Amino acid sequence: MQLEAKSPEGPLAEKWDRHRFELKLVNPANKRKYTIIVVGTGLAGGAAAASLAELGYNVKNFCIQDSPRRAHSIAAQGGINAAKNYPNDGDSIRRLFYDTIKGGDFRSREANVYRLAQVSNQIIDHCVAQGIPFARDYGGLLANRSFGGAQVSRTFYARGQTGQQLLLGAYSSLSRQIAAGKVQMFPRREMLDLVLVDGRARGITARNLITGEIESHDAHAVVLATGGYGNVYFLSTNAMASNVTAAYRAYKKGACMANPSFTQIHPTCIPVHGTYQSKLTLMSESLRNDGRVWVPKKPGDNRKPELIPEADRDYYLERKYPSFGNLVPRDVASRNAKEQCDKGKGVGDTGLAVYLDFKDAIKRDGEEVIRKKYGNLFQMYEKITGDNPYETPMMIYPAVHYTMGGLWVDYNLMSTIDGLFVLGEANFSDHGANRLGASALMQGLADGYFIIPYTIGGYLAGTGFSEVNTDDEAFKESTAQVNAKVEKLLSIQGRRTVDDFHRELGHIMWEHCGMARNNESLEKAKSMVQTLRSEFWEDVLIPGVDKDFNQSLERAGRVADFLEFGELMIIDALSRQESCGCHFNEDYQTEEHEAKRDDENYSHVTAWEYTGDDREPVEHREPLVFENVQPTQRSYK
Amino acid sequence: MTAAKEINLTLKVWRQNGPDDPGGFEVYRAEKISTDMSFLEMIDVVNETLTLNGKEPIAFDHDCREGICGMCGAVVNGRAHGPEKGTTLCQLHMRHFSDEDTIVIEPWRAKPFEIIKDLVVDRSSFDIIVQAGGFISVNVGGAQDANNIPIPQDVVEKAMDAAACIGCGACVAACPNASAMLFVSAKISQLALLPQGKPEAARRASAMIKTMDELGFGNCGNEAECQEECPKEISITNIARLNREFIKASFFSSVK
Amino acid sequence: MTWITSTLGSSVGKKLMMALTGLSFCCFLIVHLAGNLSLYGGQDFFNAYVDHLHSLGVLITFAEWGLLILALIHILTGVTLFFGNLKSRPNRYAVNKSAGGRTLGSMTMPYTGLFLLAFIIFHLFDFHFTDHTTRTVFQIVSESFSKPGYVVFYVLAVIIAAIHVSHGFWSAFQTLGLDHVKYTPLIKGVSLVFSWVLALGFGLIPIFVSIST
Repeated sequence: MQLEAKSPEGPLAEKWDRHRFELKLVNPANKRKYTIIVVGTGLAGGAAAASLAELGYNVKNFCIQDSPRRAHSIAAQGGINAAKNYPNDGDSIRRLFYDTIKGGDFRSREANVYRLAQVSNQIIDHCVAQGIPFARDYGGLLANRSFGGAQVSRTFYARGQTGQQLLLGAYSSLSRQIAAGKVQMFPRREMLDLVLVDGRARGITARNLITGEIESHDAHAVVLATGGYGNVYFLSTNAMASNVTAAYRAYKKGACMANPSFTQIHPTCIPVHGTYQSKLTLMSESLRNDGRVWVPKKPGDNRKPELIPEADRDYYLERKYPSFGNLVPRDVASRNAKEQCDKGKGVGDTGLAVYLDFKDAIKRDGEEVIRKKYGNLFQMYEKITGDNPYETPMMIYPAVHYTMGGLWVDYNLMSTIDGLFVLGEANFSDHGANRLGASALMQGLADGYFIIPYTIGGYLAGTGFSEVNTDDEAFKESTAQVNAKVEKLLSIQGRRTVDDFHRELGHIMWEHCGMARNNESLEKAKSMVQTLRSEFWEDVLIPGVDKDFNQSLERAGRVADFLEFGELMIIDALSRQESCGCHFNEDYQTEEHEAKRDDENYSHVTAWEYTGDDREPVEHREPLVFENVQPTQRSYK
Repeated sequence: MTAAKEINLTLKVWRQNGPDDPGGFEVYRAEKISTDMSFLEMIDVVNETLTLNGKEPIAFDHDCREGICGMCGAVVNGRAHGPEKGTTLCQLHMRHFSDEDTIVIEPWRAKPFEIIKDLVVDRSSFDIIVQAGGFISVNVGGAQDANNIPIPQDVVEKAMDAAACIGCGACVAACPNASAMLFVSAKISQLALLPQGKPEAARRASAMIKTMDELGFGNCGNEAECQEECPKEISITNIARLNREFIKASFFSSVK
Repeated sequence: MTWITSTLGSSVGKKLMMALTGLSFCCFLIVHLAGNLSLYGGQDFFNAYVDHLHSLGVLITFAEWGLLILALIHILTGVTLFFGNLKSRPNRYAVNKSAGGRTLGSMTMPYTGLFLLAFIIFHLFDFHFTDHTTRTVFQIVSESFSKPGYVVFYVLAVIIAAIHVSHGFWSAFQTLGLDHVKYTPLIKGVSLVFSWVLALGFGLIPIFVSIST
């Protein structure tokens, strides 16, 4: 298989413009002859479904929740980047492009990232027109805040609920198209297979989560916007229903999976506090602007934090990175917290936490100023932990937050399967080995509102389609396969619950393929996952029946895929014998324990091709060519 | 963390196998529940035990578990999302309960919210209301520069207060009349306040209220139970604004 | 003219009718109370007021018919709303607990309303549709309030009316959309004061009359 990125020729700034001109167009009257399936209703999927319907295509839109308004994009807090340069502080499209590609540790495609920066401004325009209440200054113009990895203020925000507001904007546009009859909405559906006819994506097989019926849906093209796979770790900041199943089943049908081991671990989350825990909660990284991170100097010092004198505290980030201090990038902050805890200096009941202390900030600015800045976050922290952060330091620990890897796509966002497009977090495209804050919302909406409407037209116009409907053999075969899998799962009737397996898988992945990895432990993890997977298929206990609302069965299917996908992540991590961004292989680090990139051998995207259940996937490489930026070693000393 | 305790509870949970099943309460014990758990994690624990004992676990909706997606919700001891103010069920923690408490858990109850199973209800009526007019008719690509229309900060803050609605349905569940006015008013308010939403304000108010009525929600009695139970603490001042928008649309616009 | 029926037939339209008719009754109660206060002036003063009122002739008939129509709208709409609301929650909760929004007034609106209807009918038969040829109005009033049962019943009715108004008054403003961050607290205050004035103003009359005769 040949990976063709299809980046257009010409100067960077003209590529997208030129490409749009070269793409074939679908005549407005002909658009209504095409049906497009969009799976997912988050920022990418919701935006895509709405904008494709606005153009006149017939859209079938699927979501796993009870309403398209609940996709997990809703939980994004901080904001969305754009190169508007409203604050007049030196921002530009080129700077946003550069920051993003550097933040990704030079493991993403130049042309894609530049296009992302180009359309970022249109996103803000469109969202304001949709009625999104972005924060404004007294003069009534839009306000900006700063975020990690950038020296300019370019982040637009709506309190701490930017993702919610942007998602509800996309949802409102989608609702308008549903009312207009251009989008047919299928809530509480889970995509369980991709259907290929003549090598092209022509439909999906989905389970109706209320009745348990397996349904077939045909179309001329399929768009996946099904989010990330952070829940492979069991505990993450992802929503409970976030999963890899749709993407993974597409992978099994021939779509390559790119860089699956690239997982972002966010440094400021509320620590794990018990085995029953189901979910981790993120606290905005803006807290690190005023909070000081520390651990006791002596391992095992379990005095109350207030009783530990200054002399016995180690403000390790300030000590190690004097110029950036507590504001080092996410990956660096996360790894250092782990390092301290590994040395036995972690705090709290589990020893898996570090302090984030606002004592000095409160002393300096007064409690009122701090309350104004972080009041809602402090409140949330207190609600969850029962501790009052105005009086005692917060405890934080890193948690899985975002996955940069995903299905491989070309410049048109089309996967290695013709007619299968992948958007948002589900694809691998724009964030390289590490995503900057406030860039996920930008990418989701860019893909959905401004890129797919052009590129899918090029595909549809340039393709001759045979008549296909759900009576075709391919659909029947797919339905039979899906049914067989469901039956098999229900027939096991073993002794362990689905969550029990999921928790164990998460533990393996977190320990061995998490913040820091090494070859030996990755090898070990690979066989552990294999063992766990065979145990799962022998011993899982799923109550209830197939043709019913059965949440255990839903989860079982997802965990079954995670058990395979986890191994693929480990294989990917092993294949990349370097450290870059969030992929930190301990065998490749500088003397100061920083990630050591190997541009000579690993300046590429790794894309994995499925070859069969019992066979290793085949590795393909898309070389990354940097014509406009010079890859440099990151340093935050 | 404050020292976690372990408590034991008796749960009376509504079980109903589908919309046509009459349903009824079943009693379960929740043993050794850490006070650091969230309410949903407590149900997870009960469900694990039920599963291992060969019974069907309690079906309940949930997703983000951080209080923003609006998926979860149940009436706990007569209170929507439980006894804490401004809190979704997933953010309610067990430290607010005492050892040997009996907790009665019921689904949202309203005619338009048909029960799918146990605590899971169908809230698609909310989507239908939004489809009637809860949007600004703007196509991708046609927008002017985002800073072309200044909007006073206090206006945008009010719009944001309303826009914070998570569509969980607690307002309907808590309303003695099962009215959806708080939900509908939040969307109407957000868009009526902003200059971008004004061109179709009359059409929107008229269509959304009509749809709300057709779906079978009750009538607002200005009792403010919704405001007290709303996990995002959305104010009934929005309902007054809805009423105003309705009067404007009905008597002073050409919208029929 | 279908827009009128669809407007008034909608949930908010019905509430508007409740609000407007309700506020009209509030106005009526003010006038009624002002007139009744003349009882404190003694028999002659009160009878003079009654005579003056009756001398208004057609105006009074007009007002009476107006009140009747308003009452019919208020009652019929109220009953429609009540049964509509019951239908919106066919299955009740096993446990009901207020989150703190409801007040005694708001909780009991339909019931206080129905009680008031019964009371008004009784009141009209007691004072209005009774033999006015042989007795002055003052005599009718004193006769009624000489029975302790009547006094208790009237005082009770007045308290219930005040409870009804305590929610109804501010609620009408809310329904009419007359809500403002600066004035709403004032309206709520006035609502409370108004219901106290009604309770005391009307409630003391039967007691005063029964003591003074």
